[in-house]
Amino acid sequence: MLNHIPDTLKIVDYIDDGELARHYQFQLVNIKNSSEKNSDKELQNNTAEHNWQDAQPGQFFMLNVPSIGEAAFTFTEPPNAKGEFRALIRQMGKLTSTLFTLPKGEILGARGPFGRGWPLEKIAKQNIIIIAGGCGLAPLVNLINGLTDNQADDSVANQQVVLIYGAQNKQAQLLTTERNRWQQQIKIYSTLDEVDDQYTLGDNESQGTPIDIIDTALASFTRPATIALLCGPEIMMHSAAKQLVKNGIASDAIFLAIERRMHCGVGLCGHCYLNEHFVCKNGPTFSWQELP
Amino acid sequence: MDVYQLDDLTKLQQHLLTQFHLYQVINNDDEQYAWQQQTKEGNDPLIAKLPQSSAKDFFFAEHETLLIFNGEYFQETLPTPKPFVLFGVLSCDLTAISYQDQFFKDDPYYQARRQQCLLVGLDCIHPCQQGFCPTVDAGPGVREHSADIILHPLDNQQWLVITTNDKGNEAIKGLALTTSHWHLLTQRDLVLHRCEQDFPDNTYLTRAIDKLNTGDIKDTFWQQLAVQCLGCSGCTTLCPTCSCYGTRSIPVESIQEEEKKHIQQERFWDSCLYEGFQREASFHNPSSDAGKRVQRFWQHKFGNEFFTEFNRHGCVGCGRCEQTCPGVIGVHSVMKRINSDA
Repeated sequence: MLNHIPDTLKIVDYIDDGELARHYQFQLVNIKNSSEKNSDKELQNNTAEHNWQDAQPGQFFMLNVPSIGEAAFTFTEPPNAKGEFRALIRQMGKLTSTLFTLPKGEILGARGPFGRGWPLEKIAKQNIIIIAGGCGLAPLVNLINGLTDNQADDSVANQQVVLIYGAQNKQAQLLTTERNRWQQQIKIYSTLDEVDDQYTLGDNESQGTPIDIIDTALASFTRPATIALLCGPEIMMHSAAKQLVKNGIASDAIFLAIERRMHCGVGLCGHCYLNEHFVCKNGPTFSWQELP
Repeated sequence: MDVYQLDDLTKLQQHLLTQFHLYQVINNDDEQYAWQQQTKEGNDPLIAKLPQSSAKDFFFAEHETLLIFNGEYFQETLPTPKPFVLFGVLSCDLTAISYQDQFFKDDPYYQARRQQCLLVGLDCIHPCQQGFCPTVDAGPGVREHSADIILHPLDNQQWLVITTNDKGNEAIKGLALTTSHWHLLTQRDLVLHRCEQDFPDNTYLTRAIDKLNTGDIKDTFWQQLAVQCLGCSGCTTLCPTCSCYGTRSIPVESIQEEEKKHIQQERFWDSCLYEGFQREASFHNPSSDAGKRVQRFWQHKFGNEFFTEFNRHGCVGCGRCEQTCPGVIGVHSVMKRINSDA
């Protein structure tokens, strides 16, 4: 049977990032330890039931803010053995606006991990172009962290990764610390839709959208890119996918992370439909070939 | 499968009433056919009429509490219904229950109710006004897999009682029934066959389903159709296979003041035809185009892309959408227009 009941978690900490976005650190309360069995009834009621340790890059969880309801967010750091995990959350609607008012220590709920994440087996040892727009970088953090860690490993040192990160303007850019760290290992192009007159563009920074820079980014590969990972506004991803196909990347090697409103996360409520798919269950990652 | 003959259906109703709560379709004061609970003191005679609402609410409740948050943790609130019988469910609605059984097979709330239910199906021996169950393989005879007991009216005020599984056999235990001659089953087949032939010519439905699946219906056709969709959710509410839901959190008055505020999360029937069904917090709306919403609804009912999962179409041919749609874009109207205009 599906489990609709959230596990209890608390807000451990948060830190602002860019405009109206925050990194939240959560901790699941009483995460299940397979060697222990709780006999205490109260504790039993309050033991994490979901398989948090199985979380894969690109999967998501349903955060429950009790007075408001549930919404889907991605992990930027998956749950560790102590049940701690992180998420980058932008203040957008009722649920996130309420979340932003809550103090550290507040009790919330979460269900997950859900969905089909990035195709890890397919992308292993491949040259990868990653294109992210705005908050769309969040579902990729966990994956890029892994890829950049790999770069230090000789056996996969030949794998080349290039990231194009697009944002509306300089203030809207997120994950600056992470991007600075990744830059030591991988090439990053940044695009800004709007640029102030006073602002001087930096290296590999340009005005426009990620689409404008795809050809340049692909040309920077010493051996051709064979996999593309996209996350951001759907319209941007669609244009990017078309441009990548034109450049000879196979449509079954282009992966898009799709965002939809969700109420259940387990393929029942119907809200996240995309043709015959449910994004929560069949996605959120789809190959370009699977989409019309 | 065991086949019996029964002279008085009240005997079966009364027998079941000793073990179950029993619901049956009656003609109520508003001249509507509706499900109503029966009592031992006097049960209504069985009528073969399609109720305005299907039986889906018995399993997938229109509103239900999923959980309670007590300030510290979340508690599941599973329903605990007493064993109940739906007595005289018509084949289209039974087919829809099978369909939802599959869709909700892992949903604990649905299954908690479903497992308490005995389904007594009733064969239709005359076509109904809007129905087209034979076209979508959902009737008029009750499919063996879809009910625990099947009732079939015979000529002489007698009934054939067919048990299809252990659950059905168990339910009639202790009731004095005569084992029927097998030739009555052949007679049943003939009657059902004749009933199928009495349905009006519905080939326009099959043609429209084919056209829908070849993908050559233009967006403008759906947009024109969608002008008539008021977004009232009449079709999705009455459709026995529609299953979309929303969720919301509601504060519960705490019994003691010092207690932390309890919050209840419930789910409720939603409709993919509402403008805001897919609208996100950012106000981005993947289905802001009404034509797209209407197209998706019909695609979900007749599209081959869904056929493989359920081994049948989402539509069971009850015709309720035609009856209820104030914009006259129920199934018959839409299918006719797909033939003529699309």
